[in-house]
Amino acid sequence: MNTILFRKYVPFVALLGLGLTACQPDLEDDFKASAGTADFSRYIAVGNSLTAGYSDNGLYLEGQQSSYPNLLAMQFKQVGGGDFVQPLFKAANGSGYLTITGFNADGTPQINPEAKDNNGTYVAPGQFATGRAYTAAGVPLLERYGATDNQNLGVPGIRIADITTASYGRLTGTSNPLTFNSYFERLLPSATDTRSYLDYVKSQVSAVNPTFFTNWLGNNDVLGFASTGGTGAPLTAVPEFTTKYGQMLDALTTGGAKGLVATIPNVTNVPLFTTVPTAAVIAQVSATPIPPALVPVIANLLKLPAGSPLPSGTRFGLYIRTGAGTNREATANDLLLLPARGVINTPSTTSPFPNGIGLVIPNADAPTTAALAASANALASSLVLDAAETKAVVDRTTELNNVIMTAAKAKNLAVFDANAYFTSIARTGVITNGINNTAAFVSGNLFSLDGVHPTPRGYALVANEMIKVINATYGASVPQLNAAAYRGVEFP
Amino acid sequence: MNLKTLLLAGGALLSGTAASAGGYQVSLAGIKNNGMGGVGVGLSLDQAAMFYNPGALAMVRERGVQLGGNLTFARNAFVAEGSSTQRELRNSVVTPFSLFAGYGPAEGKFRAGIAVYTPFGSKLQYAEGWEGRTSLTDIDLKSVFVQPTFSYALTDQLSVGAGLVVLAYGAVNLQRDVPLPDSYGHIELDGKAKTKLGYNAGIFFKPSSKLTLGISYRSKIDAQVEDGDVTFTNISPTFASRFQATKFAATLPLPATTSLGIGLMPTEKLTFGVDINYVNWSAYRTLEFRFDQQINGSTVSSSKRFYQDAFTFRVGGQYKVTDAFTARIGGAYDNSPVKDGYVTPETPDADRISGTAGVSYAFGEHFSVDASTQFVSLKKRTQTAQDLQNNQTTDRVAGTYKTNIVIPGLGLNYTF
Repeated sequence: MNTILFRKYVPFVALLGLGLTACQPDLEDDFKASAGTADFSRYIAVGNSLTAGYSDNGLYLEGQQSSYPNLLAMQFKQVGGGDFVQPLFKAANGSGYLTITGFNADGTPQINPEAKDNNGTYVAPGQFATGRAYTAAGVPLLERYGATDNQNLGVPGIRIADITTASYGRLTGTSNPLTFNSYFERLLPSATDTRSYLDYVKSQVSAVNPTFFTNWLGNNDVLGFASTGGTGAPLTAVPEFTTKYGQMLDALTTGGAKGLVATIPNVTNVPLFTTVPTAAVIAQVSATPIPPALVPVIANLLKLPAGSPLPSGTRFGLYIRTGAGTNREATANDLLLLPARGVINTPSTTSPFPNGIGLVIPNADAPTTAALAASANALASSLVLDAAETKAVVDRTTELNNVIMTAAKAKNLAVFDANAYFTSIARTGVITNGINNTAAFVSGNLFSLDGVHPTPRGYALVANEMIKVINATYGASVPQLNAAAYRGVEFP
Repeated sequence: MNLKTLLLAGGALLSGTAASAGGYQVSLAGIKNNGMGGVGVGLSLDQAAMFYNPGALAMVRERGVQLGGNLTFARNAFVAEGSSTQRELRNSVVTPFSLFAGYGPAEGKFRAGIAVYTPFGSKLQYAEGWEGRTSLTDIDLKSVFVQPTFSYALTDQLSVGAGLVVLAYGAVNLQRDVPLPDSYGHIELDGKAKTKLGYNAGIFFKPSSKLTLGISYRSKIDAQVEDGDVTFTNISPTFASRFQATKFAATLPLPATTSLGIGLMPTEKLTFGVDINYVNWSAYRTLEFRFDQQINGSTVSSSKRFYQDAFTFRVGGQYKVTDAFTARIGGAYDNSPVKDGYVTPETPDADRISGTAGVSYAFGEHFSVDASTQFVSLKKRTQTAQDLQNNQTTDRVAGTYKTNIVIPGLGLNYTF
């Protein structure tokens, strides 16, 4: 009887099962991934810190793993892409990097270098703990990569201006930051390698024989100047940039590879330049009453008769240094760099005024105004990008971006307009699957603790934007990443 | 700038809360009706008339008890905008049920009865780590209505009826992930609805032995949760001070429905029904949660719904093959109350097309069994990130949803 029952009901049960299986809707045919006219089987990435996966003022394992080339390669794999080899650090800390280590009483985060030396004390990022770095001639060097199969050729700090510099990765007695780069040094097979970055790229191109490349160079040709308040490396001249950028694209396309280039974001949109609210700081300094105890000291400084009151309207002012021995009062058009936050209004050992502070007497005669400026404890020029410098940076960015777009057009390459994208992020932020992300420092999820380089989520968004452009240019359907699955700033 | 303002600037973490929504109406009261596309307002098939049109109850010949149960298998596919990865639900089964008991004198003009049914409900469990996790990870919405009903035949052709609709049991459990800068926390809202009263009423008209007409109305009930429990998990100690709420309150409208129905009986053996339902979904404007303490700086979380009133069209028929055996078939078209760009994961709603079939078999004079099955197909529906931006509904996720539902049901009838 059991058998009969069984035979009787099996078809029904099977039918029910079939019905339920058929019930599961399937959308996968609607969203089939495809490579279009591109071929992603061998991918090579050229660029600077952004390409290397630099984050939190350092290059470390997690950052490398969330570098946009690595994320792109992951997505390319779904449309025929092959393996992608990165020059990963064996030690997770890499070069060392910034972390939030605690909170001040007012709730602001305390940000410290993560790397510790053997004594447990902090060392500056870019310095290396014993046992994790090779030390040569007193200059700390990074753990050498050692292999030659590298496909992520990103070198933090490199400018287009640097790409033909010979021995850029060879430490000598005369090496300086403009002729030597320890991140490049670690990629080279030996300490005596004299190749320029361009030559290195050429040899990797012939070794890998890429079918697809990305090139995001150029940022440091303006950032180096901007991030030092105009005191560091000069802005790269347009003709030099044009020549060298062309040489790089020629090297990358020799084998007929297709690819994508990215423009240079206007760096003054990033938290390094936007976090300290200049106007508010000026207002706060100007409104601070002069303590009565200071009045005689100031009167003496102004060479006023003993006991006389200060001239009417005398107040504190925020001063910046614009050149050797030249100070002026700051205006709302000056961009105060992020590190200025930790300097302004801190006690000074060399001046009676706290750092950045001086005196202002409205409507005083020119000699008095000049004398007050000279006596002020002005902020170092490296902490301020003044209006003229800002304009120079923005103008040069536009010029260099025109060079990039013209060169890309000549070779029919995809262009990711990073400048337009980061400008829109600075204005409105971006929402990823219900999560708000903005360009705000620490809380915005997109920029790491150095205020310039993205977080893993920021890099994932960059990868997605590149994918959109690649899809549009090459008729491909490379799937995007779920950027919300990548973290913003790490909290303790 | 302190940590609090920093986090606030990052946007309210609880911006996109969730609750139930559009397709949370379940029209599965009578198993016979289920087999016929859900028609019933213009018919007087059995005791389930208490749900479809209490006015028709007085025209139901038999007195009796009937018990019905359904298994709802909802299967959903989601692909986020720009992705090619399909997300599927962690599959679950819900079991809407119904009980109808009607009694009245054999030759009298009135019938009284009691109905128990589950007109609103929803259960969805999304895949681990899916793209919409900050909108919703799990929802379980339940309601049980109890309805004492009285129906009176004014003439042989005209009867009226009304029921007192009691929201006897309502429960909601909503869960979602809370985005923190470097991880995801989790929030669970769990609450019971207060007992609430509403009514339904209907008129049934039988101008000839071949034609019947019905109209019915069921009032809106606001399902109201007070003192629901809020539980946080996986919130790292750094952020714990910002997630202090322990209680929540919320209100969810269970909208009013007006229905018109026609019955046609061309022969003794053949019955056709056509129904139109009109549901006042526009009552559902926003879903708002109020908390006893702040969650990331706010004690209120509000999310746009902006539903619109919607029609459902149903058609079905039955054929009495033998005295004991009846076969049924039907279909329905259901307009979604959810506007484009407003689709939420609690109700990944879209216009629906259903096909239904059913059978009954009578074992002797008093006892019969009904079986039905429905296949509901929700149209594929896409909303883009741009749509969400335009509607300021970015608290949900952009992508394409597609849902199919299979609902087998079984009913037992005892008549006397």
